[in-house]
Amino acid sequence: MFEIITPLFLSLIVGGTFIGIIFGAIPGMTATMAVAVCLPLTYSLGLENGLALLLGLYVGGISGGLVPAILLGIPGTPSSITTTFDGYPLAQKGEGEKALRIGIVASFVGGLVSLFVLWLFAPTLADFAIKFSYVEKFLIIFFALTVMAALSSDMLIGIFSGVLGIFIALIGTYDISSGGNGKMRLIPPGTEYWLETGFSLLPVLIGLFGLAAILEQAELGVPRGFNKDEVKVGGKSTFSFSVFRGQIVNLVRSSGIGTFVGILPGVGGSAASILAYSNAKTFSRHPETFGKGEPAGIIASESGNNGLTGGALVPLLSLGIPGDSTTALLIGAFTLQGIQVGPLFIGNNPDTWNAMIFAMLIANIAMFVMMYVAIRYFALVVTIPKHILFPVILMMCVIGAYTINYGIMFDVWTLLIFGIGGWLFVKLRLEVAPFIIGFILGPSAEVYFVKSLESFGTLSIFFTKSWIAMVLWVLIIGSILGSVVLSRRAKGQPDGV
Amino acid sequence: MTFTRRTLLAAVSTAAILAQPIAAAAQELPRNVRMVIGSKSTGGDTYQNSAIVADALSEHLGINIKVDAVGASAAFKALDRDSRGTTIMIFHDQSYLGHLYGREGYDDPFATYAIGPTVAINPGNAYLVPADSPYQSMEDILTAAENGEQVRVAIQPGGVSEIGFSAMKNAAAVRSPGSEANIVAVNTGSQSDKNQAMWDGLADVINGSIQANEQFTQLEEGDEKGMRFVWITARPATLEQAPEAGMGDTDRAALMQYASPETSVTLDGSEDFTFDKEFFFLFNKEMDPAIIDQIDTALTEIFAEGAIQDRQKASFFIPNFLPSDEAKAHLEQKRDTYSKVIAEISGES
Repeated sequence: MFEIITPLFLSLIVGGTFIGIIFGAIPGMTATMAVAVCLPLTYSLGLENGLALLLGLYVGGISGGLVPAILLGIPGTPSSITTTFDGYPLAQKGEGEKALRIGIVASFVGGLVSLFVLWLFAPTLADFAIKFSYVEKFLIIFFALTVMAALSSDMLIGIFSGVLGIFIALIGTYDISSGGNGKMRLIPPGTEYWLETGFSLLPVLIGLFGLAAILEQAELGVPRGFNKDEVKVGGKSTFSFSVFRGQIVNLVRSSGIGTFVGILPGVGGSAASILAYSNAKTFSRHPETFGKGEPAGIIASESGNNGLTGGALVPLLSLGIPGDSTTALLIGAFTLQGIQVGPLFIGNNPDTWNAMIFAMLIANIAMFVMMYVAIRYFALVVTIPKHILFPVILMMCVIGAYTINYGIMFDVWTLLIFGIGGWLFVKLRLEVAPFIIGFILGPSAEVYFVKSLESFGTLSIFFTKSWIAMVLWVLIIGSILGSVVLSRRAKGQPDGV
Repeated sequence: MTFTRRTLLAAVSTAAILAQPIAAAAQELPRNVRMVIGSKSTGGDTYQNSAIVADALSEHLGINIKVDAVGASAAFKALDRDSRGTTIMIFHDQSYLGHLYGREGYDDPFATYAIGPTVAINPGNAYLVPADSPYQSMEDILTAAENGEQVRVAIQPGGVSEIGFSAMKNAAAVRSPGSEANIVAVNTGSQSDKNQAMWDGLADVINGSIQANEQFTQLEEGDEKGMRFVWITARPATLEQAPEAGMGDTDRAALMQYASPETSVTLDGSEDFTFDKEFFFLFNKEMDPAIIDQIDTALTEIFAEGAIQDRQKASFFIPNFLPSDEAKAHLEQKRDTYSKVIAEISGES
C-alpha cells in the first residue's frame, strides 16, 4: 500500500482538489464537469494516480459550490442550492466570511463521516441498498419533495411553484435509459429539435438563481462602487467554533443523510442536501430562523452534500453501480484501465481500495486547508463593484451553460429563458426554491412512480411493500405536519425562503 | 493596361498557389477533431473502445481527437451539423437497431450517414438468471415457455438489450408456435435497474454483460446478489478470440459453454441466432470521401502495427477492423438478419 503513496500521488490529490474547488466555485461548472474533462488523462497516469486526481476533483468540486452559493446567492453546483437559503442572507448581513467558514467546516466533517462509513461498512451497506426498489426510491424522492412546503413563505404558492417545476422538468423524451418509453411529451409543436431532451438542469439553475438576481439588481439600478455596509471581511464577522455548539446532532445527522442518499443509486446528489436541510429545519427549535441566515441551515446543507462523496462510492465499489453522476464518470477510470468494478472489487484489489480511501482522506484535508486559508480572498468577491462583478458573473453563467452538454447553444437560451422567468417569478409572487426542487426531483419521481405501478400493478404497494416503506411514510407524514405547523406559526412573518 | 494584366495574372497565380494547401487540407482530417459517441456514459464499452481508437488515431495522424460522451440523440445532431470532418462519430449496432425497433430519434443510418470502418466487437452481451433460479439453461427457459410458464426478461427496450429478447421469442415461436407469448419483457433502464429487477424478484432473466455481471456469478452460495450466465449471444468465432483467461474468475472455455453451439437459441430451426456488438464509425453524408479514405488508411496501418489489438484485448474487446466499404456491406447484411427476427415477432413483444 505505502509504495503507492508517492509525491506524484499526493500532488495529484492536492492539485485535483484545487482544480475541483475552482470548477465548483464557478457558477455553471460542476464536479462532474471537472472529472469529465480530466478523465482521459487518467489512462496515462495509471489507475491509482488517475483515481487520486479524480477523487481530488470530486471532493473539491462538491465543496467549491458553497462559495458562490454564499457570496453571490448562486449555487455553484446543484447540490449547493440549500446553501444559498441561509448562506446568502448571512453574507448580505455582512457575515460572508463567517458563513464560508461554517460551510467549510461542515463540508469537512460531512466528507470525513462519509469516508469513515465507506471504509468500514461499504459491502454491508451495499447489501442494504439493494433492498430499495422503485417503491422505496419513489418514497424517498416524495419525502424530499415535501420540503417544498417547508421552504415556502406561502404554502399554497410554494406547492404550486413546486408542481410547476415538476411539470416543466417532464418536458422532453421519457428517457429509455432511465426506464421510460422513449416517447416525447409536453413539447410544443415545432420545438421538438431543441426540446427533445428537455431543459438541462444547470442552465435552469443558474438562470433562476444567477441571471434573475442580476436582472433584479439591474432593475433597481446598479450603483458604481459597493455598499460598504454589506462588506465586512474579518472584523466583527469573524468565525468561532462556538457556532457549532448545539449543532453536533445536526452535523452528524446531515452527514449521515448525505451518505445514505449517496448509497442509493439513482436518487441523486441534490436530494442529499435538500433532505438534510429539511430535517434540520424540522428538528430545529427555531425553524422560523431558517432562510434568514441560520448557521444550522448551512451546516445541514454542506455536511449533507459532502456526505454524499463517500456514500456514492459505496455502490460503485461494492456493486459496480455509481451512486451519482460524478461517480458514474469515475467508473471510466477503471474501465480505461481494463478493470471491472463489482461485488468482488474490494477483496480482489486491496491496494487500489486502500489508495482510494487514503486519497479521499487527503482530498478532504486538502480541501479544508485550501479553502480555509483562501477564505479571505474568496470573501473579497463581494468587494468587487457590482457594475464589474455582474457582467463577469453573466459571462461565466453563459460559458457554463454552453459547455455543460459539450457546446449546445440551446442551453444558453435556456439560461436566458429561465433568467427572465426567475425575474418574473418574483413579480408574480411565485417561489423559486420549491420550483427548482420540483424541477430537480420531478423526473426521478415520475420514473420511480410509474415503474412501481408497472412492476406491482397496484397503488397499495406504496404502503405494503416493506418496513422501509412504512418508515418512509412516517417521515413523510411528519414532514408534512411539521410544515403545516410551521406555516401556521409563521403567519404574519412572510419573510421565509 | 499591361501592368493591370500582369498584376491580375500574378494575383490569380498567387491565389492558386495559396489555395493549393487549403484544397489539400480540405481532404484531410482537421487538426482538432471531436469524436462524439452514442452513449452518455464514460464507464461503458462505447467510451472505452472509442478512447482506444481516438488515442491511436491521434498519435498516428498527429492530430487531437477528443471523445465526447454526448449520447445518441446529441451525437447524431452534432454529426448532422458538421460535414467538414471536425465531428465524427463512433457507435455500435444500436444505431440501426434503434431504427428497426422504431425508436424516436433514430433514422436509418445507412441512408442518413456515411458508414465508416468497424474497429472492434464487444463479445459480452449476455443473459443471466438468479443463482438460485430453477432455470439452468436456455433450454429450460424455452421449455418453460412451451409449458405455459411465464418467463419475465428484464431489458432496456429498443436496441442491443432487446435484440436477444427478440431472438428468445423468435426461438420459442420456432420451437412451439404461440409459446413466445410466455416470454415477456420487463422494461427497465440501465444495468443497475436490470440487476435491481432481478433482486426484487420482478424478472426471471436479465440482460447484462460479461464485464458488468461476471463478478456476481462468483459470489458465495446464499448471497442474494448471486447470478448465473445462461446465454452469451456472441458468435463462437468471436468469443474464441477472447483472452484465454476470460474475464475475472471465468475463463474463456467456461464462457464458451454459454454461447452457440453449446447453448442454442435457434434462428430458424437449423441455425443458431448470434449477435456481436460491433463498434464502427459514422460520418456526415456530405463529408469529403477523402477524409474517410484517410481514416481507412490510417486504421489499416495502425492495425497492421498490432499495438491497438493488445490494448483492445486487454479491455475484453475483439479487434475487428474492416475498411468502410466492407464494413458497410457487413453491417447491412447483419441489419437484414435482425430485421427479419424483429419482423417475425413484431406486435407480440
